[in-house]
Amino acid sequence: MDVIDTPDLPPENNEPQPVEPSAPVSPPYRKVPVVFSGDGKEFFGIWIVNVLLTIVTLGIYSAWAKVRTQQYFYGNLKIEGHPFSYLAQPLQILKGRILAVILFAAYSLTSHFYPLWGLAVIGVLLFLFPWILNQSLRFNLRMSSHRNVRFSFKGTYGEAFVYFILLPVASVFTLYLLLPFAFKKMDEYVYNNISYGDKSLKSELRGGEYYETSLWVFLVGIGFMFGMFAIALIFGATSALGEAGSSKGMASLMMIAMGVFYVLLISVSTAIYRGRIRNHILNNSEFDGLAQTRSNVKIWPYTKLILTNVLLMIVTVGFAYPWIKVRTTRFLAQATMVLIDNEADAAVDKMQESQSAFGEEAADVFDMDIALT
Amino acid sequence: MQSLTGNYYFPKSSESKQATVSVVSDTVSVHYDGECAFVIAKEAMKLSSSIPGVATEIDFEDGGRFIASDAQQRLTLSSARLEGFEKNKILIFASIFLVPFCMWFILAVGMPYIANKSVVLVPQSVSNQMGEQSFDVINELFLSPSELPQATQDKVIAQWDDAVATLGLSDNKYNLFVYKSDYFGPNAFALPNGTVVITDALIEKLDDNPDAILAVLLHEIGHVEGQHSLRIVAQSVSNTLAIAVIFGDVESLGEAILGTGSALVMNAFSRDMEREADDYALEKLVKLGKSPQAFGDAMEVFLTLKSQHEESDLLQYLSTHPEVKDRIKKAQEYGLFRDEK
Repeated sequence: MDVIDTPDLPPENNEPQPVEPSAPVSPPYRKVPVVFSGDGKEFFGIWIVNVLLTIVTLGIYSAWAKVRTQQYFYGNLKIEGHPFSYLAQPLQILKGRILAVILFAAYSLTSHFYPLWGLAVIGVLLFLFPWILNQSLRFNLRMSSHRNVRFSFKGTYGEAFVYFILLPVASVFTLYLLLPFAFKKMDEYVYNNISYGDKSLKSELRGGEYYETSLWVFLVGIGFMFGMFAIALIFGATSALGEAGSSKGMASLMMIAMGVFYVLLISVSTAIYRGRIRNHILNNSEFDGLAQTRSNVKIWPYTKLILTNVLLMIVTVGFAYPWIKVRTTRFLAQATMVLIDNEADAAVDKMQESQSAFGEEAADVFDMDIALT
Repeated sequence: MQSLTGNYYFPKSSESKQATVSVVSDTVSVHYDGECAFVIAKEAMKLSSSIPGVATEIDFEDGGRFIASDAQQRLTLSSARLEGFEKNKILIFASIFLVPFCMWFILAVGMPYIANKSVVLVPQSVSNQMGEQSFDVINELFLSPSELPQATQDKVIAQWDDAVATLGLSDNKYNLFVYKSDYFGPNAFALPNGTVVITDALIEKLDDNPDAILAVLLHEIGHVEGQHSLRIVAQSVSNTLAIAVIFGDVESLGEAILGTGSALVMNAFSRDMEREADDYALEKLVKLGKSPQAFGDAMEVFLTLKSQHEESDLLQYLSTHPEVKDRIKKAQEYGLFRDEK
């Protein structure tokens, strides 16, 4: 395995395309693929055994299961042969989960037992959300490293509150016309606050891309609505003509047709939104003088991937989950490239000594990802 | 001596060298550029837990890091027990059956049991608050003052007061209200504090059969006496938590499948509670000297309401209430059974 002294990229995924050989007149950077080497069968074993151990230990093992799953995906994601690493310790995850369980139980019990107070609790959660979001981003990025250099996140509460709470709420009063803009600001906030060691990420996003993408999703939605309307009309007409006995079968048939249409709609719009926005973000992001990211997700193959995932999940009653997770990660990895500056200095992990995996547990009380998952 | 080949990353830097880590008894040495770079005690490094398909990683005390290049290479120092489980074909195969079985057991047996045991610990004040606050919300959204003649309302309420007194229930707790509601249609519902609401439409439908009205109200009292609202809440919250903790982040697709499974279980639970309330109503009807058939008569109303869409066998699993026909049959049989005695 070759070892080149240059660092790399974001916690995204992926693979293909040959490494460009350094031609006589070599460009100032090298274009390298992101490779995912995970295997569906292998991950199935890890997943199902971890679920069983979690059940047997009444949920405690879930923290270990989460770490092992993350390590599997990070460890199999490589750039120039260097894998990513997931550094979180199970006990940190366990702590975050216990807090999340308490918060969730408190919230749901209050909203069921005291419906009127439930509104007040929602108000409190709106203010708590930006903090939890930052906490989670900070923790997950700091626990991600590549070539022994950690990622980090430096967003502030005020900004998170404006972009994740105020803007979406304001957009309701503009007939959601402000929503694509809000999405753009959210992404900008998240990506522009990420650093890899001492190199910060810069993402220059355009509002136009978000509006154009949203318009496509909207048009596809309208198109499908007409389609569903047409199905309803056809079935309505046929069952009106047929005898009463067949109308029951017709109704189930129509339900199935509607269901298929709905799945199609969700798959297509998810592929359009996620695919286009991912391409836009990664194609406009750069780790300060170190590397640029590229993404080339094609909408149609992405739609097919999502559709087959849905089918696999239904046919196997959920047992295909490990496979679809692996194949989705591979698909996205294959659509990703990194341009690494040949002249770049090595990235330096500017975090303190205490950041080594030793003594991790000693970190502050709230150093955790407050999440159930 | 055992060794691993891979990359050594310098402390706090992305710089790396192709290296070999060798372990000889209690010491570990790291070689790169053809020479020995450093030697440390075994305790000064931390090995990653082995995971199938993931290369061994070593953290050194000074912040340096080593990652093996081949996922198959392992040091005997690494803990391999979990990896052994994750690669064990028999365990994997067994898990395919054990996991669904355990989930069924937890959701359909364990959680209802815990919910039943725990609701009795909930103080009455919580049920009262829950009832009062829910009533305020429902009243605001779905109810309007009754438009029935005062005499009709009084008749229903008088009958209710009689029944509550005869059955020895607290008249402080149990209160009946008559409301008009387009949202609920002909219906009745109970809140955990003992407030029972019956709609104008239902009274009109059963106008000629006061015993049937009573049967419906007794069914509602059955829900309150059995603390059914609290049990539903306790169970749905604990099921949601259990699923989230056990399966973690399975994305929207997995959630849809798990959500469907959980909804089926909750519906079964709900049908059980309806049956419990039915039993309560039948028993109390007899106690009040009325015919259990009155309950069947009340159910007939609901039957005519929904007879348009006959339920298929499959659809009954999607229902929160038992099949109306079965409930009528049960009322009839309950009557027969009593007569024989």
